Amino acid sequence: MRQGGHHVPPFESCALNRGAKPCYRAGHMSGGNMDILKVTHLTKRFGDVRAVHDLSFAVQPGRIFGFLGGNGAGKTTTLRMVLDIIRPTEGQIEIAGCAPDKRDSAAIGFLPEERGLYDNMTAIDAIVYFGRLKGMDRHDARAHGMELLDRFDLADRAKTKLSAMSKGMAQKVQLATALVNRPRLLLLDEPFSGLDPVNQGLLEREILNAAADGAAVLFSTHVMQHAERLCDTLLLLKKGEKRFEGTLAEARAMLPARIEAVAHDRIAALPGIRAAEAQDERGEVGPGGDGPWRRYMLELEPGVDAGDVLEACTAQGVPLRRFQERQASLHEVFVQLVGDAEIEK
Amino acid sequence: MKDILLVAGREFRQIVSMRSFWLTLLLLPAALALGPIIAQYLEDDEPTRIAIVDRAGGGGGQAIEDRIALEQGRAALADLSRHVARYDLQSANPQAPWAMGERWFTGDDVARFEAEGGMDAAMARLKQAKPPATPEYEPPAADYAIVPLPPALSEAPETSFADRAQAYLEDTDDDTGPELIAEIGSGWPQQPVVRIISGDRPRGSFVTMVQDVLTRDLRSRAMTAAGMNADAADAVQDAAPAIAIVTPAPGGGATETMLVRSIVPLALSYVLLMALLLSGSWMLQSSIEERTNKLIESLLACIRPEDLMYGKLVGTVAVGLAMIVFWVVCAAIAIFAAQGVVSQFVGPALEPLASPGIVLAIVYFFVAGYILVSMLFLAIGSLANSMSEAQGYLMPVMLGIMLPVFFTLQAVISGNDGFVVQLFTWVPLWAPFTVLARLGTGIETWQIVGTGIVLALFLVAEFVLLGRLFRASLLSQGQKAGFAELIERMKRKA
Repeated sequence: MRQGGHHVPPFESCALNRGAKPCYRAGHMSGGNMDILKVTHLTKRFGDVRAVHDLSFAVQPGRIFGFLGGNGAGKTTTLRMVLDIIRPTEGQIEIAGCAPDKRDSAAIGFLPEERGLYDNMTAIDAIVYFGRLKGMDRHDARAHGMELLDRFDLADRAKTKLSAMSKGMAQKVQLATALVNRPRLLLLDEPFSGLDPVNQGLLEREILNAAADGAAVLFSTHVMQHAERLCDTLLLLKKGEKRFEGTLAEARAMLPARIEAVAHDRIAALPGIRAAEAQDERGEVGPGGDGPWRRYMLELEPGVDAGDVLEACTAQGVPLRRFQERQASLHEVFVQLVGDAEIEK
Repeated sequence: MKDILLVAGREFRQIVSMRSFWLTLLLLPAALALGPIIAQYLEDDEPTRIAIVDRAGGGGGQAIEDRIALEQGRAALADLSRHVARYDLQSANPQAPWAMGERWFTGDDVARFEAEGGMDAAMARLKQAKPPATPEYEPPAADYAIVPLPPALSEAPETSFADRAQAYLEDTDDDTGPELIAEIGSGWPQQPVVRIISGDRPRGSFVTMVQDVLTRDLRSRAMTAAGMNADAADAVQDAAPAIAIVTPAPGGGATETMLVRSIVPLALSYVLLMALLLSGSWMLQSSIEERTNKLIESLLACIRPEDLMYGKLVGTVAVGLAMIVFWVVCAAIAIFAAQGVVSQFVGPALEPLASPGIVLAIVYFFVAGYILVSMLFLAIGSLANSMSEAQGYLMPVMLGIMLPVFFTLQAVISGNDGFVVQLFTWVPLWAPFTVLARLGTGIETWQIVGTGIVLALFLVAEFVLLGRLFRASLLSQGQKAGFAELIERMKRKA
């Protein structure tokens, strides 16, 4: 778990002793690995449409949780339920042990997928306004807002109206409105969509900083590269249902391991090899090769790893010019689990 | 509560930062300031010059002149007595007709007034008796002046007189000649024809006066011809019932009727309508901006939809009330600056408002009306994705409010207290306007209390149902809602 030295306020004393369930929010979240967000058997239906079905997961402090799925998978609906914007049809959500409540907004940061601010407000006024809506006093919100603008190279534009800013600048200001209250739970809905590469980098750093400072970060995305780079835990959704939850390594392990090898034909007959596909120089299936040497893509039997194959090669005297293990990418896992059609969405 | 005030403060600042707000705010005082100046240029203070031709010589012409003099004397006496009562100047001559309070002045009163020196003598007395701060009395201008027939027409024969008089009135630009000529034919009374020749449409009051005077002449002749002596005929002509008018004391002294003899509640009814139209459109703009700028989700992550709704409502109501306070302050400054002229009219209008019950009723119906209609605007703002879409919802709602309200206000002004006005008093959407208007002319206390309770209950229901609609519509961007969907959203609890 990442822990940083930056001061992160604990959740407010439990305004949340409102149900039968005991709440443990009062100052308990600052250092432990207790779940900040816990979702249990969550279901949301809109009329006949089932947006989310029987979804359970938990997010701990200092962890980055990736919420993956195509459009319409139920990511935004789930986030809205966590934020208490809409109510679940069934199931439970606990934030620091209590049901979602607007009084928690002091500890939550949220960046929506569809972004926008009041055009006629200045950057710093917009940040202070959202800071105050989250329970901060004006002075603290302004001070931290200026700090964030400085970090985002916008200090000199603090008093510029948002209508006079570029889209990229306005997006940074919006990010600052999500971070101004030093959230313990940071929810980001498709945060990278619409950002230029420079701002994508900035956002990645801020996500890592927030987690390093002890915040639990949950972000939804359908861009696998960001999830691969950032997430400790991944959750794949398809049509509102969970298809996978685990680490990146666990996700990759769901697909059989593969080895790219340049070797003699005999390698295809080794034990533990499920399939051997000869490829040409461009990696396409074909009879490519240089004399007895051929390039193979080997697919292994379940439970067999690259070391076992290498050991068999050595034992049986199969000569090798190249032997490289290739891990499945998250994209491949995603395709395997939810299908191409979901990515196309 | 803190969130509501934060949203309200932002809403208030946003509206106040608009140019249209300042334009609207200053437009009314500017119009009020410029109005009297423009009116001064447009106003025709000159009396209508009248020439009377009596070809029969039977006294009809003289009777008309006498009647004009009597009516003008009566009007001057009434105006003078109003001024005397307003500034407590009765001590100038307690026995004078003008010192005995406002009332209907008889011919004897006018004759006595004239016999005692008329307006000049009265003004001289007032000048001696009035305190230094009391403004000078300005007598009203006369409506009519009798002028002689111009030489060009005096010799014209009766048969061609009307044509020549018409030509004269059309062609001559004479500031001293007649603008209107009344001709009693030589055949009077056997041929009772009176011609009124005028360049413009003659005043109705003049025509009525001529008809009244000459009808009396004809009837007197008919009665004497039938054998009645002249005195008896005059007595018949003068026979009329005495009408005693009893009205409640100003300030709501009546027990059965709450009556504010003041233009203020009626004016507030108009102001309420005007302020609502303005601030409502600003609230619409702001709501639609939040939707089109995709702000809603960010806001709802921080605050409850109800707080957003109440905040917007409080902010907009505050803008509307601030505008009204500004206008009232401007009016007060204008009254103070104008002193005698305006305060002569406004002062009496404000006096009856001293009763706490009346002030409470006015404030309640004004604020409740403001909130009621603002909620409708807010709901429309949450439904529409653009201003043009909002117009589609707005038009029927506005027509549904404005047309009945204008009808009611007109009816109340003209003293109509019929079934429709009674009905509108009890329909919450129109009750604030109707009650405010009726407070100026008379409404029973039980009706005020009853409709106030109905209005309060309606507001609660409106808050619940439109609150649900607001909440359910906030995140439904891009979805057009039909009537069935609107009802469905109102049923959704959360």
